[in-house]
Amino acid sequence: MIKKLALSAVVLASSLYASSEVNVYSHRHYDTDKKLFKMFEEKTGIKVNVVKAKASALIKRMESEGAKSPADVLITVDAGRLFQAKQKDLLQSINSNYLTTNIPSTYRDKDNKWFALTKRARVAVYRIGSGMESKLSTYEDLADPKFKGQIMVRSSNNIYNQSLMAAMIAHNGEEFAKKWAEGVVANMAKKPKGNDRYQVKAVANGIGSVAIANTYYIGKMVNNKDESQRESVKKVKIFFPKFKNGGTHINVSGAGVAKYAPNKENAVKFIEFMASKDAQELFAKGNYEYPVLAGVKSSDLVSSWGQFKDDTISINTLGENNKAAVKIFDQAGWK
Amino acid sequence: MIRNFSKLKISSVFLTLLISAPAIIIFLYLFIGSSENWQHLKETLLFEYVFNSLYIMIGVALLTSIIGFTTAYLTSLYTFSASKFFHYGLILPFAIPTYIMAFIYGGMFDITGSVTTFVLDLLDKNLNEVIFFDIMSIEGAIIIMSLVLYPYVYLICKTYLSFESASIIDASKTFNLSSWQILRKVILPISRPAIVAGVTLAVMEAVADFGVMDYFGVSTFVTGIFRAWFGMGSVEDAAKLASILMTFVFILIVLERIQRRNKVYKSSGKDFRPIDKVRLKGYKNVLAFIACFLPFFFGFLLPFIQLCFWFAVSYEEIIDEDFLTLLYQTLTLALGSAFIITALALLFVYNVRINKDKSSSILTQVVKMGYSIPGAVVAVGILSFFAILDRYVIDLFSSTYIISGTLIAIIFGYCVRFLAIAINNFEAGFSKIPTSYDDAAKIFNIGDFKTFIKVFLPLLKNSAFAAFIVIFIEVIKELPLTMILRPFNYDTLAVRALELTQQAQIVESSVPSMFIIVIGIISVILLAKNMNKA
Repeated sequence: MIKKLALSAVVLASSLYASSEVNVYSHRHYDTDKKLFKMFEEKTGIKVNVVKAKASALIKRMESEGAKSPADVLITVDAGRLFQAKQKDLLQSINSNYLTTNIPSTYRDKDNKWFALTKRARVAVYRIGSGMESKLSTYEDLADPKFKGQIMVRSSNNIYNQSLMAAMIAHNGEEFAKKWAEGVVANMAKKPKGNDRYQVKAVANGIGSVAIANTYYIGKMVNNKDESQRESVKKVKIFFPKFKNGGTHINVSGAGVAKYAPNKENAVKFIEFMASKDAQELFAKGNYEYPVLAGVKSSDLVSSWGQFKDDTISINTLGENNKAAVKIFDQAGWK
Repeated sequence: MIRNFSKLKISSVFLTLLISAPAIIIFLYLFIGSSENWQHLKETLLFEYVFNSLYIMIGVALLTSIIGFTTAYLTSLYTFSASKFFHYGLILPFAIPTYIMAFIYGGMFDITGSVTTFVLDLLDKNLNEVIFFDIMSIEGAIIIMSLVLYPYVYLICKTYLSFESASIIDASKTFNLSSWQILRKVILPISRPAIVAGVTLAVMEAVADFGVMDYFGVSTFVTGIFRAWFGMGSVEDAAKLASILMTFVFILIVLERIQRRNKVYKSSGKDFRPIDKVRLKGYKNVLAFIACFLPFFFGFLLPFIQLCFWFAVSYEEIIDEDFLTLLYQTLTLALGSAFIITALALLFVYNVRINKDKSSSILTQVVKMGYSIPGAVVAVGILSFFAILDRYVIDLFSSTYIISGTLIAIIFGYCVRFLAIAINNFEAGFSKIPTSYDDAAKIFNIGDFKTFIKVFLPLLKNSAFAAFIVIFIEVIKELPLTMILRPFNYDTLAVRALELTQQAQIVESSVPSMFIIVIGIISVILLAKNMNKA
């Protein structure tokens, strides 16, 4: 049995090094991506091999595999992990005219070690008729006592909250950020638990009035087989808060080429494809994300939520501040 | 004979080193974590982690022992309405992964849950006007974990009782004891080792859980481990927390051993015969039925009904060619792993039996530790371990081949994690074989290997089968380790179920979940049949 397994493992391993392949380590777990990979395979004849897991785990795996790592591309759902991977020297700079001309400089690494592929906005979702529309304004303002008992937000274990806090630190400094977190904790309707959808469902059903959530979850709730999600989302609306001196908080999902990529050329082609018009449209339609490529429209549903201005803080800074963000959450008692 | 002795011993030492290597690596981090983060952790959250983890351990221990023992006692000694059915039915919750249970229960009983809103509509009240038990709380987590984990206690107690109790009950009857006195003075004390063995497994699994605790917003050691790792990017601090957790659990295992040693009632093994079950009538019949129905209903039937509804509306969309591939991959992986782990466990336990020395028994306990470490942390240990192997051993043979990302890596991970379960199963099985058999074999000068094949293997067939099935189900349910260590393009049912829930497709996630559960049910029925034969 062991012999057989060893043999199959060797066969598997050697097949990884065949030439027309690209090996992807991805944190994205959406079915849209499966379609995208198929499109890429049909277009280029390059086979896409995927391992999906949390980015931190994939980074650890790349680290311990070292120079023999089969990974060509690392995809994450946030900038912080790309920053970490870069810091650990797991990514390499790539030369791609297409990427540097088409992806705005705020949405790629300055050394071209990673590129954002899609954007997500972290917004306020309020219950229609709760009177919150007139009260909502900035992220900073969410700590104001006028929201006492009204705010629903998930645990600070979550990366989306961590990067929101990282942005808060970048805008206002750590001292202010800590006070802000304490203010939000005091305003919470419930101890943090559940995911973004849980917060929206709660608000829709009268537990608190404002949920903090990522936009694409709203899209997923609108088109959902679960009736309670469809019903809940009818009762809420999206508000795009801003930072006092900036815009709406944006996080990105992005990709970089692994330092020891055995198929570097294919890896570059793969990322270029993910930033192509076809792929960007599918991201927007299939997963309700905002495309990074200029000229690609969001889906009708996403557009109907309204326009907003992206925050100006560089995505890199979010990664740099992530650790400080976690510590501030701990000190403020944001579970 | 001496030759066999040393072979067996050497191979167990070697395997112990191999299997505990990831745990040892994690443990070494205890000395290298950065002090600055650690100080922060001590000041803010450490107390909460310790408190909550202990609370969960105690809660799960209490609930699983009460549910598990009561149901095992009732179904072993009595017949009552549907008792034959409960014999199987009570194991079924084991087939449902805890995280799926948490999602389903959340969907029914949380503040916006289907059951909650239904009841509120019925009462025409809103949530603030009624006393509401929020399932998404630490108590809720304890209940969910216990509902899924009590079958550990049930199974071990039941096997134990059906073997031990007939003669003892007869003996106690001659003293004119009532059935209540027999329970309190005889059955409960003799069952204690079995209860503790089952509870230890349940507690270890509960304390290593991430999915349920994270979703319910409960901070434990394990959520802390991931917070340090994912949030602060500090594998060192994560490993440090994990090694504290391991120390915790090691103490637990040692305590369990000590109490088992003091309380072993060695079977005479001569006069085994089945128990004459007493037929319950009247209110006793009703009470026994209710006691068994409640855990079956909440642990299995209710979540299963919800899943069936979801399955009916989404199976067409989810079952495609890819799905069949992942079904095949899940099954072959689980069968292969279960086979290897069962065989290894047998080797360890047999070594203890033959050599009867302290060191062999310590080896076995060390190997068990892996079960208490969260899967993702085991994965970190394994990755670090393979990094060393790849660099210093494999490199001598091949400059491109690596173990990481192969099936070997993943199966090795399962060994680290699940050997404890198989070993516990065999220990119970071995303890039922009187030592006089070993002596007889020695007198006739039969070699250890021959003794094993001729004497022990036939007697252990049932334990082996039970271990195999339990590991098989565990592997099918396993999530974090599989995700991190798997080869390219290798999906399992559990991974697919998680992906769908993360995409907000709870309804669709019922399809892979349903397959996990149905495979679980088939296995459980085989297990129960096997128990009957025993």
